[in-house]
Amino acid sequence: MPNSNVQIAPQFRELLGRFCLELAVVEAGKDHGLLPINSFVIEITDLCASAAVPEPLRVATTALRGWIDHLFDTTAVFDEATIALLSRWHEWMETAITALERGSALPALPSEFGPAVAAAPEKADAVPAPAADETEPVLVVNVGADGELLAEFINESQEHLTNIENGVLVLEDDPANADTLNTIFRAFHTFKGGSGFLNLLPIQALAHELESLLDAARQHKLAISSPIIDVILEGGDVLKQFTTQILAQLNSHGAGQPILVPTSALIARVRAILADPAAPVAAVPKADAAPEPAPATHDDFAAGFTVVPAHEKPAAETAKPAAAGASAAGFVKVDTNKLDALIDLVGELVISESMVVQDPELLKSASRNLARNLGQLRRITSELQRTAMSLRMVPIKATFQKMNRLVRDLAAKQGKQVQLVLGGEDTELDRNIVEELSDPLVHMIRNAADHGVEAPAARIAKGKPGLGTIHLRAFHRGGNIVIQIQDDGNGLAKEKLLAKAQDKGLVKPGQTLSDKEIYDLIFAPGFSTAEKVTDISGRGVGMDVVRRNIEKLRGKVDIDTVLGGGTTFTIYLPLTLAIIDGMIVSVGSERYIIPTLTVRESFRPRAEMLSTVHERGEMVNVRGKLCPLLRLHQYFDQASKITEPTDGIVVVVESGNQTRCLLVDELIGKQEVVIKSLGGALKKNPSLAGGAVLGDGRVGLILNVDALVKLQHTLPLAA
Amino acid sequence: MTTATLETSSLAQQLAGKHLTFVLGREHYGLPVLKVREIIRLCEITPVPQMPDYIKGVLNLRGKIIPVADLRVKFRLSRIENTDLTCIVVVQVTLPDNTKTMMGLIVDAVEEVVTLTAAEIEPTPDFGAALHADYILGMAKVKGSVKALLDIDRVVAAVHPDDLEFSK
Repeated sequence: MPNSNVQIAPQFRELLGRFCLELAVVEAGKDHGLLPINSFVIEITDLCASAAVPEPLRVATTALRGWIDHLFDTTAVFDEATIALLSRWHEWMETAITALERGSALPALPSEFGPAVAAAPEKADAVPAPAADETEPVLVVNVGADGELLAEFINESQEHLTNIENGVLVLEDDPANADTLNTIFRAFHTFKGGSGFLNLLPIQALAHELESLLDAARQHKLAISSPIIDVILEGGDVLKQFTTQILAQLNSHGAGQPILVPTSALIARVRAILADPAAPVAAVPKADAAPEPAPATHDDFAAGFTVVPAHEKPAAETAKPAAAGASAAGFVKVDTNKLDALIDLVGELVISESMVVQDPELLKSASRNLARNLGQLRRITSELQRTAMSLRMVPIKATFQKMNRLVRDLAAKQGKQVQLVLGGEDTELDRNIVEELSDPLVHMIRNAADHGVEAPAARIAKGKPGLGTIHLRAFHRGGNIVIQIQDDGNGLAKEKLLAKAQDKGLVKPGQTLSDKEIYDLIFAPGFSTAEKVTDISGRGVGMDVVRRNIEKLRGKVDIDTVLGGGTTFTIYLPLTLAIIDGMIVSVGSERYIIPTLTVRESFRPRAEMLSTVHERGEMVNVRGKLCPLLRLHQYFDQASKITEPTDGIVVVVESGNQTRCLLVDELIGKQEVVIKSLGGALKKNPSLAGGAVLGDGRVGLILNVDALVKLQHTLPLAA
Repeated sequence: MTTATLETSSLAQQLAGKHLTFVLGREHYGLPVLKVREIIRLCEITPVPQMPDYIKGVLNLRGKIIPVADLRVKFRLSRIENTDLTCIVVVQVTLPDNTKTMMGLIVDAVEEVVTLTAAEIEPTPDFGAALHADYILGMAKVKGSVKALLDIDRVVAAVHPDDLEFSK
């Protein structure tokens, strides 16, 4: 024992040092430092679990865990009493460690750190640790409000449960299999995340314990043995019981009834294993599992162990497992490659079909039967195409609903009154877009709630209702999906933006900017307008990332603001990542596709609109603004009959806030095209974004406007 | 037995098997038949600007866009006109970054699939400074003609003909 004390003391000391640093920045009423402190608590708890730690230290650590958990469960901000408590804890811990290092007797454990009064500054029921809880935690699901999220959670859970079961079977034969350990660990981890999000506390608590167990195994702190495998399997079974019952409730078998599945016995077993891996884990645990059980701790452990073992199912569990399969069977997981291949082939089918239908030989035929059959063929192919395209589409509802929670939490945290009004949640978008859109949306909603909407008092002073409103809506407009985030907050102050930009050197003094350009400044890297930087938003890393993410999705974002009246962000996105709306232009004998979203206008220039610098740099005067001209035929080194801009068409394209005029021979039309990669061998060509199969089966090349706009050398590259 | 002959015989063993042979000008070439996906008629190819001259462009292979290389240009052979026999061999190649991709190769004519035995294969002779031909794995003597066996991955991986000489 003395030896191990010497070993753990430096570790404790290091952790305490960090804790002390974090404690220094903690303020009452704020949550600064809560997360670092939490991670510290996790580490020190791990340390207590893994090493032979004298009992008083262990008890004190458990008490600390309880306080922090309580913070998370309630306000998530520190209060004076807690801070004082944390300081006293730190002080005591320091003396204890010093005593440990010298090998002298540990100082007496203050009563406030003891488990019996672990929640001293709080109410007794605050400590959620199930081991200290005589009664089993009861789960009540809110089928009405969270129905769809729950269904999704259950659907995913089935897969994780299968992973767990299969993984455990592998582990039985090969306990050291790192891949399998990781798979099971991830499964529990995802379970924990999902249940945490849905507030399914008992599930979360159990998944958390099992995750810690597997984590220890992963880090070779714990050897997998058959009792441990039993525990994991049982854990999986218990989680399965939860999901089965939630599913039953979703299918309205006794909706709203509390779900009771005993978890505390299992959790206690997991903890016992973690605390002392060598001890035999029997169904009847030994009460003296801890080395020097203080009376209070003894109770603590006993409480965990005397409850009904998990496999004895209580009467409450009467759900019919038969219902489980029903909703899960509604989906098939398909490899996206197969899906893409299918969509490719359907596209080809449509092209072949139109080639057949327009074949001159067939047109000559006067057979009415043939015409009828061709009509039928056309209907079927177009229906098939629509269905194939919709395979990738999912409604944006789930993403929007997550924002609801975000706004509620933010408003509560900041003492604001904000409501989020959703619109058009059923709008369908490409699955990839929905996934990529989630982060930018979170950012913008945060901004709206944090900086946009004012505190109630300020709002009322301005004659606005105290309750702020953020509208989040999605709709179709002109072949695009539009997502709008509109708040009725303070709006952007032009002068402030400009002053700040000059401050940061983004705008030179004396430079004049249009209103739009000024508002666009908020998308500049390192720009933040909030006078007060909060932990929620305002560090100036936000909006430029938002814009970059949206442009990656081939979309764009616009901003519109009224000082005092609120700000509206409008995001334009393509319907799917696979299809763009393109403008087809010809250059010489070739056809190119310019994404319509990037096209600002196109016209035939008059001679007086053109000017040059050094006879080389050409510019077009587009309504008073000079815009550099890029002759595509020259740049692509292609023979073209049209060499004079006045004979051709100039297409003004923009990316970010740069514009450029592209000279093309003529505009052929507008068409939706399916974007295809040009393959690895051609990927390096920066001026092309991809290719698309045009109506006649030939390939058209899609221009990468972003690269063309930023181009430095506009003459053909010497290839 | 010297180490050199040991190496060559094991190389010949590796190369033995079915090869697709084709013609470029007056020369005969071969590539492993397992690499070949299909052979299509010469069809309309969309030129891609700013590419090395041997990349003729891209074509639409049943909804997939694949690049097309002209092996005649790639190997710097003299130019001749396309004929009825000119066709595109679609191969699956592995790029240096280990991704697999399809690519079309324009050849003057496709001959046949031959089964080569180790005895018919010889190592590539040393051409000296005139030709760095390390993308030619070996030479096969079949029915009185000599066929150069190509490492097609190496051929397409080099972006420019000059690069072939520097690759490894």
